[in-house]
Parts: sequence; structure tokens; C-alpha cells
Amino acid sequence: MHRINIICLLTATLLFASCGDKKATPAETQATAAAKPDSTSGDKVVLFFGDSLTAGYGLPDPSQAYPGVVQNKIDEAKLHYKVVNAGVSGETSAGGKARINWILKQKVDVFVLELGANDGLRGIPVTATMENLQAIIDAVKAKYPNAKLVLLGMQVPPNMGGKYAYSFKAIFPGLAAKNNMTFMPFLLKDVGGVPSLNQKDGIHPTAEGAKIVGNNVWQVLQGVLLK
Amino acid sequence: MENNPNITKRKINIRWLFNMALRDSRKNRSRLLLFISAIIFGIAALVAIYSFRYNLQHDIDKQVATLIGADLVVSGGKTVDPTVEPLLASLGDRRSEERSFPSMVYFPKTQGTRLVQVRALKGEFPYYGSLETEPVQAGTDFKNGQKALIDRILALQFNVRVNDSVKVGEVTFLVAGILDKAPGQTGISSGVAPIVYIPLQYLEQTSLSKKGSRINYSFYYKYDKPVDIPKVVKSIEPKLEKVQMGIETVEIRKENTGRAFGDLTRFLSLVGFIALLLGCVGVASAIHIYIREKIASIAIMRCLGVKASEAFLIYLIQIIGIGIIGSVTGALLGTSIQHVLPSVMQQFLPITISTDISWLAIGQGVLLGIIISVLFALLPLISIRNISPLNTLRINYDEVNLLRDPFRWLVYLLIVGFVVTFTYFQLDSWLGSIFFTIGISIAFLILTFIAWLLMKLMRLFIKSTWGYLFRQGFANLYRPNNQTIILIVSIGLSTAFICTLFFIQSILMGQVKLSSSGNQSNMILFDIQTSQQKDIAQLTKQQHLPVIQQVPIVAVRLDKINGHTLADVIKNPKLNIPERAFTWEYRVTYRDSLSATEKVIKGDWVGKADPGKEIPVSIEDNFSKRNHVNVGDHLVFNVQGVSMNAIVSSVRQVNWNKIQTNFQVVFPTGILEDAPQFHVLLTHVPSAKVSAQYQQSVVRRFPNVSIIDLGLVLSIVDGLLDKIGYVIRFMSAFSIITGIVVLIASVRISKYQRIQESVLLRTLGASRKQIFAITALEYLFLGMLSALTGILIAAAGSWALAKYSFEIPFTINWLPAILLFFIISLLTIVIGLLNSRGVLNKPPLEILRGN
Repeated sequence: MHRINIICLLTATLLFASCGDKKATPAETQATAAAKPDSTSGDKVVLFFGDSLTAGYGLPDPSQAYPGVVQNKIDEAKLHYKVVNAGVSGETSAGGKARINWILKQKVDVFVLELGANDGLRGIPVTATMENLQAIIDAVKAKYPNAKLVLLGMQVPPNMGGKYAYSFKAIFPGLAAKNNMTFMPFLLKDVGGVPSLNQKDGIHPTAEGAKIVGNNVWQVLQGVLLK
Repeated sequence: MENNPNITKRKINIRWLFNMALRDSRKNRSRLLLFISAIIFGIAALVAIYSFRYNLQHDIDKQVATLIGADLVVSGGKTVDPTVEPLLASLGDRRSEERSFPSMVYFPKTQGTRLVQVRALKGEFPYYGSLETEPVQAGTDFKNGQKALIDRILALQFNVRVNDSVKVGEVTFLVAGILDKAPGQTGISSGVAPIVYIPLQYLEQTSLSKKGSRINYSFYYKYDKPVDIPKVVKSIEPKLEKVQMGIETVEIRKENTGRAFGDLTRFLSLVGFIALLLGCVGVASAIHIYIREKIASIAIMRCLGVKASEAFLIYLIQIIGIGIIGSVTGALLGTSIQHVLPSVMQQFLPITISTDISWLAIGQGVLLGIIISVLFALLPLISIRNISPLNTLRINYDEVNLLRDPFRWLVYLLIVGFVVTFTYFQLDSWLGSIFFTIGISIAFLILTFIAWLLMKLMRLFIKSTWGYLFRQGFANLYRPNNQTIILIVSIGLSTAFICTLFFIQSILMGQVKLSSSGNQSNMILFDIQTSQQKDIAQLTKQQHLPVIQQVPIVAVRLDKINGHTLADVIKNPKLNIPERAFTWEYRVTYRDSLSATEKVIKGDWVGKADPGKEIPVSIEDNFSKRNHVNVGDHLVFNVQGVSMNAIVSSVRQVNWNKIQTNFQVVFPTGILEDAPQFHVLLTHVPSAKVSAQYQQSVVRRFPNVSIIDLGLVLSIVDGLLDKIGYVIRFMSAFSIITGIVVLIASVRISKYQRIQESVLLRTLGASRKQIFAITALEYLFLGMLSALTGILIAAAGSWALAKYSFEIPFTINWLPAILLFFIISLLTIVIGLLNSRGVLNKPPLEILRGN
């Protein structure tokens, strides 16, 4: 009677996961990229640490997610950087905190942090989110003191309520300033809330949307990589 | 007829035929009454069962309607596309509109903030059921002002009472009521966040509905007149699909809620079919014996010059009359039972059974009664044509061999055709009707064969050395004017029906029990971090709640299946591996043993991994089939950057029906302990109060942990399941009782069969005791044999039903079956003895005269 698959149920409530027969993220390439800790090429590594916006949830091809778009830009600019996509659908800042050391087993030259959206949609207190993100940043700093840090800011949709939305939005510039990170105020700039650029769920960008996101991220990242 | 000298050229005089039919029936009204009573019971059973069935089906449908609260719901996650606006405005007779979205609300009194599901509502929704609130009127009143309804969990968690306030967005609402239950609340979303209802007209002011807001738009429709909803759905679905809007109806919800509704429908069909057959048995056995007794009268009439066709018509008229009287009275009786019983039993029943008069049931009952009477009368009546006047003188009761008579086959065909047609009304499927009819014909043939065999064997075995009583009792089974076939068939069939109902009922109840949640988990905590899991378990136990399950979950992907990657699969479709196998993000766990809901069907379970070897993993059956992966196949998993070589060691079958974490892939211990993971904890909270307390203390200490409270969802579904269970039990109990009544009636009509002989025996000097013993022996044998055969037929029938109609595993409880065997045997003897009581207690002469 209660045909409820718990895992489905969990993921159904999360922002960034899929269930049932829907096509899930084809993350083969990202995964394999992440699977080679000691990369043979001399390329430096840009690690995108995030949730399904990074993982490219719901896109037919994982390279269509914004990190893939950034990789294309890097190649076009003939820079020797390799993008590693370490996005996991449905991850919260707490999950990221627990996962970071496992991910940091591989070399990181540029660390791009994109987490918090799931916290926001679940109404998790902003102080908790802030502490978890700080812990992640601290872990990276401890292991790779020379790594360049980038923070991608996030906002919650207006329906969450003005007060919460405001304090949530304020987490990111605060962290960026405190940790001296390159900062992009809102990852989904020009895309969030535009129905045609988002998938049916209204949150995850389509391939076209991801392209815009990728270009916007590149605008910020360019400076970091060229430095 | 005395006035008819011109026998050969006489025209049919209808009036005279009617008169004759009436005169003949006058001869023995009490005997006629007995036969009519059998018809009455048969038809009353049928009409009562049909009426109950239609009413109960309707009641349950109404209950289900409260699950969604309207006839039709259209919803979508985006602002409504202008192209479908006219369409949305044209549906239904009454309309309501709702916008729902998650939001953080604030309770000024206790300064608490929490994620809730805000529902902004306009219109009279819900059309079925109600917003159950405290105080009651708040459920409708809140729409008239700046008022809100809040879920009880919120009230308990933040100590909010009626007339306190809640701030939703920029607007502060007065809390008009505490919400306990709301239609349409069975979705999972209501488990994640408690509900706050506000009137739609204030939504704009809250400034929560802006560009970028994630809002769900729902439109509820109610039809005042009955409308073919599936047809409406079919016509609007393509247009709505284009703008990404979904549709829900009661029917769709029923299908999604599970198999219980389907089971109920099938069970009620079965009950309907059995009622039909009970009616047939009641009517047919009465008519059959009645006409057979009339053969002597017919022969006499023939001697006096009545033509065969006239005799045929006289009795046809009589039977139609009897059929009409019996059926109409039966229908009246059945309807009044159906009317009176629920009010008498109201206090014992957890459900309200509506008592609408079902004209459909009455119509079917009357029609069936008459048709069955005629058809079963035709069988012996067509032999009238061949009854020569000599029959009177010879007293030859053996039926003329009619097997070669083509009319007889025509009648058989008519009977079968008729049963199929009426079955179709109950089952709504021709194929099903044909199968059911075939099944019943087989049962009929088996019983006839058993009776025939019994007669043959008795003739062979009875020895003159046996005592007189035994010889006489057993010889009654095969001597002329025996009632073996008719009684074995009617007792056997009735037993088979009763027993089948019983078996199927207990199998279904087992299923219903399995589905209802009982003490299953109804609360899920997830995103628990490894460092928190011990503390949370401890906190749970401190609050006296069970930790039903606590499992780690690791996100992994599949890189290779037997060396093939996604790229290989895209290049070479012949590999027969779906791309989805690789694109899927798997949530796996690791443990050392199987859970209670799992069963290894292939290979061996390995609970611990050997370092340095391929990791032995267990996969789920569907995963195995979908991806064509089996025991011994090699998989390469990617655990967030780390490749792991695994080998499939076992295939598991998982019962997905329980509220439980189940996994497509399970790792052994010793591998994933250090991998990034979160934990899920399942518990059972007994009440909203405990739930609120627990949630509060968890969230305070572990703010990152998210909670899904399924208590309300499950209690609504459980309530419905309970009702279905009661309906099934009520219908089967009622049908079994009516079945027994029909059985009694059909044995009772054999009353006059033995009277003549018993009287003769008494006249010849047999003692009461002897007659008693002879009768008891005969009925004991008939009762036992037919009950046994009936039960065996029921077992076979139930197996077939369980397997092919209900598609559930067949189990049988023999104890009640054995009990039923004794009850039926005993009942048969008791009625048999009651039948001859008249002979035993009165002087023979009185009976001979009075007959």
C-alpha cells in the first residue's frame, strides 16, 4: 500500500536529486576526472565542490553543467587547467563538511565552493550553514594553503520569506571577505526564476541556462586563473 | 377440460391454461409455500448482497474522494500559461484555487521560525471531507479575514494557541484554528513541512509571490452532476501536458495508493458472482424438485386428454407465477434486510453504510429469479412432452432418457448463456465471466460426478448382510426417487461458495494487514552526519522512541559493467546495457547482514569484504533485470573519486512496501566506512504531541538534520485500509450467512421427497427410531460427502482466484475449513431430520390423508 521508497522519498524532498525513471545526471566524465587523484598531465586542477547545480542534475550530458562550460572556456583561452567536478546531488553544507577530506585527497590548485542551496530550501538556520561552509574552507586551507579560493554565492527564492532570504544571502559576502575569497554574488544570475532557462522543477538550469551560468562563472574565474 | 370433446382440433385457450395453473397450485399451498420460500431466500440473498455491494462501493469511493478533496485537480509548478486559462476556467461546476509553497514563518509569541508549507486558498475546497480544525468552524471561517490555520505540530512545537498570531512573509495573521487533517494532505510534501493555510487574497501582500518564487498552482474542481471524469481527463490531458501541468482524480489516486482498492473491487465482484450463484441454487433446486413432483399430476392430466403442449404451458404459467411471487418477495426481503441491518448494527460497525435503495440490485434480482425459474423448470418440463399417460399407471419415476433431446441442450445453452451474461454485470469483463462460468460448470460436473459415483458404488457395496437400517439408509441414495444428485449439487455448491469466500477473505485480510503500517516507522530523519549519529540515536531512546533503523548512505556512481563504460554502451547498443545504469547516482549502504525485508534469490550474501580482493556486493532483483547484471559480473563503482572494483555476489529480492530504507546495491562492511556518507534514522512516533517534542529537540541540537513526519499521511491511509478491511469482512460474513440460509432452504425442500416412504414404512410397522436412523444415515452421508467435495472445490477455486484474479500468494487455513465441514454435515442431518419430524411425531394415517 505505501509504495514509498525511502530513498526516493528522501531525494524527492531534496533540491538536487532524482528518483524513479527520470534520467539522472550522467556524471561519468566528472566522476572519472575526479577518480584520478594524481593526474598525469601537468595541468593544474580547478575543483568545483558543490551540489547538483555543479553536478548538472537533469541534464542529458554532464559536460553541459556549468563546470563543463568553464572547461570549454579554459580550453579556448589555452590555459592549462583541468576542471574536476565534485558535485553531489542533494548535498547540504553539513554533507559537504563531512565529505571534504575525502575529496581533498587529490591535488587542488583552485577551489570553487558552491554549497548552501539545499540548506536554504530546507530552512536550516543560517548560522549552521555558515559554520559548515567555514569548516570546509578551513579544511582546504589546511591541506592546500596555496590554493586559490572562489566562493559562488546563492540565494533562496522569495517565497521563503524576506527575512530568511536576506540573512541567507548575507552568508556568502561575509564568508568571502573573511577568508579573502574571490566572490561571485549569485551563481544563478540571469537564470534563476526565468522559466525558459530552468527545468520543470523550476530550480535546475537547462543546458541553455547552464551555459549562461558557466559564462558568468568564467567572468569571475578568468581573473583568478590568469593571475 | 371436461367440456372439451374435440380434443384433437382444440385451440389453445389461454384463460383455461391460467385457470389450470391456478387450480393445480391450489392443491397444496403449504407445499408450494415451501418451494417459494427457497426462491425467496435465494433472491433475497442476491438482492441484499448486491445492494450492500453497490452502497459500500459508493461509500468507499466517497472516502477516497476525501484523499484529494475534489473530483479533479490540475496543478503545475509555474505560473499558469495564458493559453490554458480559458480551459481551466471552463472545467467543473465549482472551482477552487490554491497556491502552495515552502516558506519560513515566524511566531511572534515564542519567537520561533520554521519551514512550513504555505497554502493560500480561495473557494470552497475541500468538496469532499473537510479541513478538520479546532475549533471546528475555523476550517471554513478563516477565509473570511486575515486569518490562518496552522498544523497541530506547529502549535505544539511553538506553543501557539488559537487567537495567537503567525507571520507569513510580510503579513501577520490571526491563528483561527489548529489543523488536524486536510484532504489532499496525503502527499509526501506535507510530511516534510507542516501546513499553514491562509486566504489567497492576502498572498500578494505577503510579498512571497514574486519573480523567482517557487510556487505550485493548484485548481480544484467539483462536478455537481455525474460526469465521466476519465473522459474529461483524456480530453484535457494533452493540452495541460504541453504547459507542464498535471492532473489528479480520485481514480488516479486510488491506483497510486495501492492495490487495496483493486482487491476490494475484485472481492466485491466475487461476492456478487457468488450471490448470483446462491440465487441460482436457491431457485433452481426448488423448481427442479417441484416440477419433478408434478410429473404424476401431468401424467394424470394427459390420461384425461390434456395435450402435451397444454400441459407444458400450464406449468410454464405456474412457474412464471411462482417465480414472480418468489422474486418480488425475495427482492423486498433483501432490500429490507439491507435497510434494517446497518441501523441495527451501527454501533458495531466502524463505518457508516449508506442504505440507499438500489433499484439496479432489485431489478437484477427479480429478473434473475424469473429467468432462472423458467430455465430450470424447462429442463423437466420439456420432458413433459414425452410423458405418456401410461406413466401414471407404471409409476416410473426414472426420468426418460433425454440426453438425445435437442431441446434439452438448448436449455443448457440458455442457462450457461444467462449465467455468463449476469456474471458480466458483476465482473464487467467478458473474459472473466467466461472463466468464472467455466469454473462453476467444472464444480457442477465434479459434484454431479461424485453423486453418480456414490450411487454406483452404493449399489455395488451394499450387502444383504448389513443391518436393515444401514441397508435402507444407504439404499435411499440410489433407489428410484433418490435425491442424491440434487442435494449433493446444491449442498456442495453452497459449501464451495461459503468456503471460497472464507478463504479469499482471510487471504485478503492478510494482505490488508501487511499493507497497514501498524508499528512501522512513520518518521524519517536524514542528513545525519557520522559525528551526530550516536547522539541522535541516544536522544531518540531518551524520548522513549524506538530506533527502528539507522543506516549509512553513500552516493556512488557506476563506471563500468564487465569492463564496459558509458562510452562503450553508447557506441555499441548491442551490449544491452541501458545508459541509465551509468548516469544514475546510486544511494548505497553497507552492512554485514540482510534486513528483514530482503531475501537472497541468487548467489551468496557476503557481509564482510576481504582486503585486496574484489568487493562482493549484493544487487537488487530489479537492478539485476534492468541492467542485465548477474551473480559473478564485475562492476566498477566510483565512490566520489575513488574507483572500487566489485563483483556481484548475490541478488536480493526486496519488499518495497514497507516504510524502510531499501537499496539497489548493498556493500559489505569494511569498505565504505570512511567514504563521505550521511545517515538515516527511522523511528515511530505515537502522537502529534510526541512528534512535535521530538522534532523540536532534534532540531535544537542538530540543526542540519531534516525530518519527514509521515504520521498523518500513514494514519489517513491506514484509516482507509481499516475501512476496506471491514467492508471485506462484513460482506463475506453477510454472504456466508445468506449462503447458509440458502443451503438450509434447499435442503428443506426435500421434505416431501421422503414423507411418502417414511409413512409407508411406519404403516408397515417401522418404529420411529428406525425411520429416524434411516433418514439420519442418508442425510449424514449426503451432507458429509457434499461438504467435503465443496471444500475441496473451494480450495482449488481459491487458489485459482488468488493466483489469477487477485495475483497474491495463496495460503490456506484448514482449521476453519474442517469446522465448516462439520457444521455443514451437522446442518444437513438436522434439517433432514426436521423434514421427517412430521412423520415421526404424527400417526401415519393423518399424514396420508393430509398429504
